[in-house]
Amino acid sequence: MRLALREIRRSKVRFILLTVAIGLLVFLAFFMQTLLVNLLGFFTGALEHQSATVVVYGEDARRSLEGSNVTMDQVDAVAQVRGVGSAGPLGERTLTVRADGADVDAVLFGYRLGRPGSPTLMASGRRPLRADEGVGSSIDAGQGFGLGDTVEVLPGVGTTDLPLPIRITGTADESRFSVLPTVFVPWDTYVAAVRLANPAAPEVRPSAVAVIPAPGVSPSALASRINREVPGVEALTREQAVADAPGVSSVSQSFSLIIGLTYIVITIVIGFFFVILTVQKAASLTLLRAIGADARTLIGALFVQVLLVVVLAMAIGAGILMLAALGSSPVFPIRAEPGLIGRVGTTILGLALVAALVAARRIARIDPVDAVNRPSLGGLT
Amino acid sequence: MRLALREMLRRPGRFAVAVGMLTLLAVLLLLLGGLLDGLATGSTGAVRAQEGQLLTFSATSRDSFVRSQIGAETRAEVDAVPGVRSTSGLGVTLVGARIEGREEFENAAVWGYEGGVRGVPAPPPAGQAWVDRRLEAAGARVGGTLRLGPTGVPVRIRGFVDDTSYLLQAGVWVTPSEWRRVTATVRPDRILPPGSYQVLSVDVASGADPARVATAIDRATRVDGADTTSTLTKQAAIDAIPGVTSQRSTFTSIINTTLLVAAVVVALFFALLTLERTALYGVLKAIGASSTQIVRGLFAQAVVVAAVALVIAEVLTLGLGAVIPREVPLLLEPSRAVTSAVSVIVAALVGSAISVRRIIRIDPATAIGGGA
Repeated sequence: MRLALREIRRSKVRFILLTVAIGLLVFLAFFMQTLLVNLLGFFTGALEHQSATVVVYGEDARRSLEGSNVTMDQVDAVAQVRGVGSAGPLGERTLTVRADGADVDAVLFGYRLGRPGSPTLMASGRRPLRADEGVGSSIDAGQGFGLGDTVEVLPGVGTTDLPLPIRITGTADESRFSVLPTVFVPWDTYVAAVRLANPAAPEVRPSAVAVIPAPGVSPSALASRINREVPGVEALTREQAVADAPGVSSVSQSFSLIIGLTYIVITIVIGFFFVILTVQKAASLTLLRAIGADARTLIGALFVQVLLVVVLAMAIGAGILMLAALGSSPVFPIRAEPGLIGRVGTTILGLALVAALVAARRIARIDPVDAVNRPSLGGLT
Repeated sequence: MRLALREMLRRPGRFAVAVGMLTLLAVLLLLLGGLLDGLATGSTGAVRAQEGQLLTFSATSRDSFVRSQIGAETRAEVDAVPGVRSTSGLGVTLVGARIEGREEFENAAVWGYEGGVRGVPAPPPAGQAWVDRRLEAAGARVGGTLRLGPTGVPVRIRGFVDDTSYLLQAGVWVTPSEWRRVTATVRPDRILPPGSYQVLSVDVASGADPARVATAIDRATRVDGADTTSTLTKQAAIDAIPGVTSQRSTFTSIINTTLLVAAVVVALFFALLTLERTALYGVLKAIGASSTQIVRGLFAQAVVVAAVALVIAEVLTLGLGAVIPREVPLLLEPSRAVTSAVSVIVAALVGSAISVRRIIRIDPATAIGGGA
């Protein structure tokens, strides 16, 4: 180990360059993984963390809550299906609201009180009990969606109506939708808000039907039954609805591709660097072997260097990620989660050790006899 | 420089490491750029195609097409603003569209328009539509029928148009009345009063400054001192499309970091190479080579390494593009390949420059043991 550390001290430039290069790559891996997790959560959090375990869309919705609408007759038809414990309308609409004095976009999730569709991850306060109350997404608490705040839905064009106030009685974690602040409100409040935004609308339809199966009935079995028995709808389990939401699969696939490529680059950079270094030091390593150092000691020194470089690189990567998190906007706040850093870091460490095996193999194959053969080491031929 | 290039020809294996690493980084760059272009193009085509230089939204819509509403009275006020040549009403509804003979729904954005859309002919007769070529890729054919929404409002495909999608949904261009009919069945809560549109595309008179006209429009439509409209330049309207700005800034920061990594990797490689060749450089200097000549050779090697890596990366990326699933919005454009190539070559030059100091400091005396 002393040998490994002394070599690093004496070849500062090359080890600093390597550590910085790996550190930046590690940051890329951390950043993209964090972005992916945050983005998917912001896309579908409210859908994932509402109480209905079956979500029934209009059949043309292409599994998009935003693109779906169902009639009240369809809500009633779904409620009549055998195995349905509870069902109710679920509305989703992006509206302009005034929060903390600023006009911002926000999503309203409307559900009938006592029916499925309520937020499940309450962070503070309570769920709405009456009209004009709501639960805001906790991550937006600082932007006027916190406990005790009042959010105003702004009227649309051509109306003299006053804004519709919604008092925030609680906040819920991981409950954004479409990367926007989200407020869960009673169904009647939702209808009033949509009508206020567009007074010309002849009716306000639910976006979907929120369903909780009866005890003993599985969500997937119930979804299949609803699809068989109710025309013009597509029922999905909540997990399916989240996984198939627009953008989720394309975002996951795109990011997975890039993250995978980043892992490959990290592995190759580490692997090649230590191979080059081993080749450059071949004469010295041979001499060390000839004077008694065993291969295990030299390989151990190699792994110490790999570990040190990767750990320092991870510290650099995590540090830059934290700076990026601090500098991220309230609209898209990035959180540097220790669990995620740990998982990605462990993967990178594993890959680095695998990459170092090539250099280790080279060291293991060094023949001490070469020391007396090499002219550079004083040998004859 | 000739010596440096000859070294690369005679010992290509020595440079394979740097080429390999840079190739992967270049693939990463090209994929990131391709994703950014794919997302941006697929989200903004319909707005980019507007011939009007300005777009007028209602003030409370926060520049969202689907939430905006411009009444007939407001339109008349906009028409009367000096510098406005003409206005065209626009409206969009996102629907599921079924191609004739197919079971599954495709994503479509039904646009009601009065004209003034580049690449899209004048509005077709009732019951017909100009359709974005995205749907041709999904199986739609000219003369075939598209069925829109849950009730399957039928429209016959009159022809295909290019690059008019919106939020990654294929543009379906119909008359305003046809759009209202579709909206009434698909999204009744989004119906607008007769004569109203979501947005106005404003054609500015020649010689007029679009920014001044935009300000004049918003001033002319004020009621009791409060804005009722928000008029944006086309570029600002594109930036206001959900996700466009954040996607651009996120991808740009990842691309820049990747370029930084490329520069550091090249720096690392040439630092190692220079270290290994210190004695040789000493000999070269002893027999009369100047530091400038050696540095030039180093830069030439960096450029060749980057160029070879870029060619391989381009081929690999095109291959990947062919097998990547359709839902990944990857668009590989020549302009992106050129900007990526220039960026990688600059990064390689910057990276290799880190060895310049070491080369300059090599003492020719080392060739005869003077440095020992």
